[in-house]
Amino acid sequence: MSKRLVLLVALVATLIGYVQVKSAEAVPAFARQYDVQCNACHTRPPRLNSFGEQFHLMGFQMPSAARPDGLLGVFKEDGPAKAVIDSLALRIVGGLFEYSTSPTETERKFEPPHEIALFLTRAITPDLTFYAEIEYEPKTLAFSHERGFFTKDRLGLGKEAFFMLNLGRVLGALGAPTMEMGGMTMVGRHGGFNMHGPMVMAGKIDPSTNFSYPTNRQLILDTETEIEIEPGHERAEVHRFAVVPYAFTSKFFGLFKNRDGEPQLAVDQVMYNTRGEPGADFHAMFMNNLFLGQVGFLRENEGFNTYGVWRINLGESRGFTFNASALVNWGFGVNRAPDPGDEHDPGARRVDRLRYGIAANARWKQLDVYGALIWDRIVNLPRELEGRFDRTAAGLTIQADYLAHDQLMLSTRFDQLWAGGLKDDKRDGSVLTLQAKYYPWPNVAFFVRDSVNLRAFENENPLRSWRNQVFVGIDWDF
Amino acid sequence: MTTRGWWLSAIGAVAVAFGLWVATPRSSQADVTGEPHEDDKAGHAHVPAPVEYADAHMPPGVWTDPAMIARGKEIYAIKCAVCHGDTGDGKGPAGMVLPLKPPDLRDKAGIAEMRDNYWFWRISEGGLVDPFKSKGSAMPAWKDDLSVQDRWAVIAYQHTFSGHQGPHVPWEHPEMVLVGRDIYEMACVSCHGAEGKGDGSVGATLSPRRAPQPRDFTTSDFKFRSTPSGQLPTSGDLLRTITEGVRGSGGPLTFGLSGHRIMPSFRQMPIEQRLELIEYVKSLNPRFWERTEVKIVPIPQPPPVTPERLARGKQLYADAECLACHGDTGRGDGKSAPELKDSLKLPIVATDLRRPARFKNGSRPEDIYRTLVTGFAGTPMPSYADSLEPDQTWDLVYYVLSLSGDPGRAAGASGRGSAR
Repeated sequence: MSKRLVLLVALVATLIGYVQVKSAEAVPAFARQYDVQCNACHTRPPRLNSFGEQFHLMGFQMPSAARPDGLLGVFKEDGPAKAVIDSLALRIVGGLFEYSTSPTETERKFEPPHEIALFLTRAITPDLTFYAEIEYEPKTLAFSHERGFFTKDRLGLGKEAFFMLNLGRVLGALGAPTMEMGGMTMVGRHGGFNMHGPMVMAGKIDPSTNFSYPTNRQLILDTETEIEIEPGHERAEVHRFAVVPYAFTSKFFGLFKNRDGEPQLAVDQVMYNTRGEPGADFHAMFMNNLFLGQVGFLRENEGFNTYGVWRINLGESRGFTFNASALVNWGFGVNRAPDPGDEHDPGARRVDRLRYGIAANARWKQLDVYGALIWDRIVNLPRELEGRFDRTAAGLTIQADYLAHDQLMLSTRFDQLWAGGLKDDKRDGSVLTLQAKYYPWPNVAFFVRDSVNLRAFENENPLRSWRNQVFVGIDWDF
Repeated sequence: MTTRGWWLSAIGAVAVAFGLWVATPRSSQADVTGEPHEDDKAGHAHVPAPVEYADAHMPPGVWTDPAMIARGKEIYAIKCAVCHGDTGDGKGPAGMVLPLKPPDLRDKAGIAEMRDNYWFWRISEGGLVDPFKSKGSAMPAWKDDLSVQDRWAVIAYQHTFSGHQGPHVPWEHPEMVLVGRDIYEMACVSCHGAEGKGDGSVGATLSPRRAPQPRDFTTSDFKFRSTPSGQLPTSGDLLRTITEGVRGSGGPLTFGLSGHRIMPSFRQMPIEQRLELIEYVKSLNPRFWERTEVKIVPIPQPPPVTPERLARGKQLYADAECLACHGDTGRGDGKSAPELKDSLKLPIVATDLRRPARFKNGSRPEDIYRTLVTGFAGTPMPSYADSLEPDQTWDLVYYVLSLSGDPGRAAGASGRGSAR
């Protein structure tokens, strides 16, 4: 399908949404499907509140109130056109204007939105849901062995595309006691042990949605990686890393994704904390969501990783709630170490990565604070690299959001990277980001953010080759 | 493994799981609790009392009142013992030959789960209603033979068989409301809080620093009622709110989304589970057990709409000072509107009367009548029960409906069915 055709479909879908909805109000898919305001599930989009997390865990259905006749019932009640339209949503996001500075240059530029995504999601039955994103990025970073890094536009499957299925009934068939709660099968007994699920989520997934710090629901958007061709060079190199939550990144300088020599950038989000990879996830909620357990596996580069997460949820009293998560993750052969003879090329040896970490989230009234501390360790490194390669790394991200006013969300985030990798190349990073996001309507936001590099400037290192980045942008959902 | 292999594996995993899921039967819907029955032949089912009986509660003190227990003993000996046995063991001479055996009232665990309104329903309707009727219950319906007082007396006496000393209320027997508690913790706690005080974490960002906030179930301030001002709602009122959700009336952030619900509708939840949830919600507030009678505001048959009635309604709109909050055109921009606060001292918006579809308490004529007569507890919206006659209230109802600019809405209102 051509890009123009997809964009046309997206625009038509939005227009139909305007026409179909009687009060001429365009709202995102779930708001339309369930006739609720955005704020029922979001502190502010895209960040979920605890009811929204529950909604997601239930397979994008109202907790304990799944529609028994599923999608067929929707077709009968609303008609196929409205059923389809209400299953669609469109997101346009990105920094439209950038002002960045360093001791060597000042840059001002206008950019198109960095992402336009069309979402399609619906519960087919009380136990089965599907979700898919189609994404268009006008300037996505790509790599080829011949060209090195370059940017291109990309249209294709977005971050996530999956089915979610509640397997509680299967456990019932194996002899476990079950009970029906609002159309969904739960394992256990009222007043005793109970478990919702296990749910299997398979396809292209971001399992960290259930983590206390979900990677994919950032109020402060990621910036873009900048590349440039230096004088005398033919291939573009990374000039400036993207500003992303450092806790979730690769953290190592000098690793490669594959034998083609594509670098694993130190700020690529990887492993469990990825932005979407093929795999399967199993999660279950215990004791009315007091606990959540999660295991799964994802493809990563030439290998795969397996993970386990445990989360506890407390509170919901006096405007306060708290949850904490622990993560362990092993990536089997997910990277290639550099060639000991030439560190600019990938070696023959694939290395494993062990990741473990903790995250926590506390909400009190209009204040939302969350953070993650994650350690990584490279395993199976070639012996020849022992003295030159630091096998351990860590990242810390702490963010605070404050709803200063109905329409104004203030956010600040601190990122600390204790980098690993080639000792000559690795640098630690510290970034402070401040953002103000203005919501004239619940689903439309304008933001201004400023990220400040707190470390010494180093023009040659993409983690430190900047001083200040200011963006003015949009985050619109229809 | 190649990318394609990963995709095929993922799809395969889903397909296998889906196949297993399709092949396995659902657990029984007949038993809302999913609990196994100790004795399937006994005349007890884990179902909630229907909404018509859901408000039947005995004040805590009555359970242990010696006079009530004595009266109950007298009635029990004459009317009940023949089946239920002298000791409540269900082995009375007539009970032994029944196809559906009477339950053992000495069963502490079984009695602990049995709510008072269920008990009252069983005695009142006997085996004439399902699910007991289809099970072959022979229990008589005592509602015509025994007064309400006498039925409670019998229940108080029967309660003594279990050996429990205190009142038979949910805070003595949490097992009465386990189903509702589990539903509440999955669906409601984020807004209404762990103790039902309306202090879950979501409220602060749902309506930051303004009304409406999630309901505090532990107070007497329930907005949507069919009961007079100052009184708690009925179970039917709570059921309506859970079923319909609550619409948003507007605010600075809700352009484009006004009218969409701030509280979701849970109409897809099975009715039995909504009733269980209501029992849990009520258990958070002992006042539901302290009221000795439940009064419902009567709603008379709506009269015909006439131009004269609309003119009177318009005058009443001014005389009753509706326009002070709702404004001349009903837009919600009256001169008092900017200063309105609810009982939590939070700014509150006067409803835009031009948009009946967004009325939180319903937009049918009888809904608006009910709102005018009951008021909204905890908000500046008063009750007009003492200041308006029923006919005047209808005048005002029709005038409010006419503010929507839809002449059919008021004109057609009087042609609708009977009042509730």
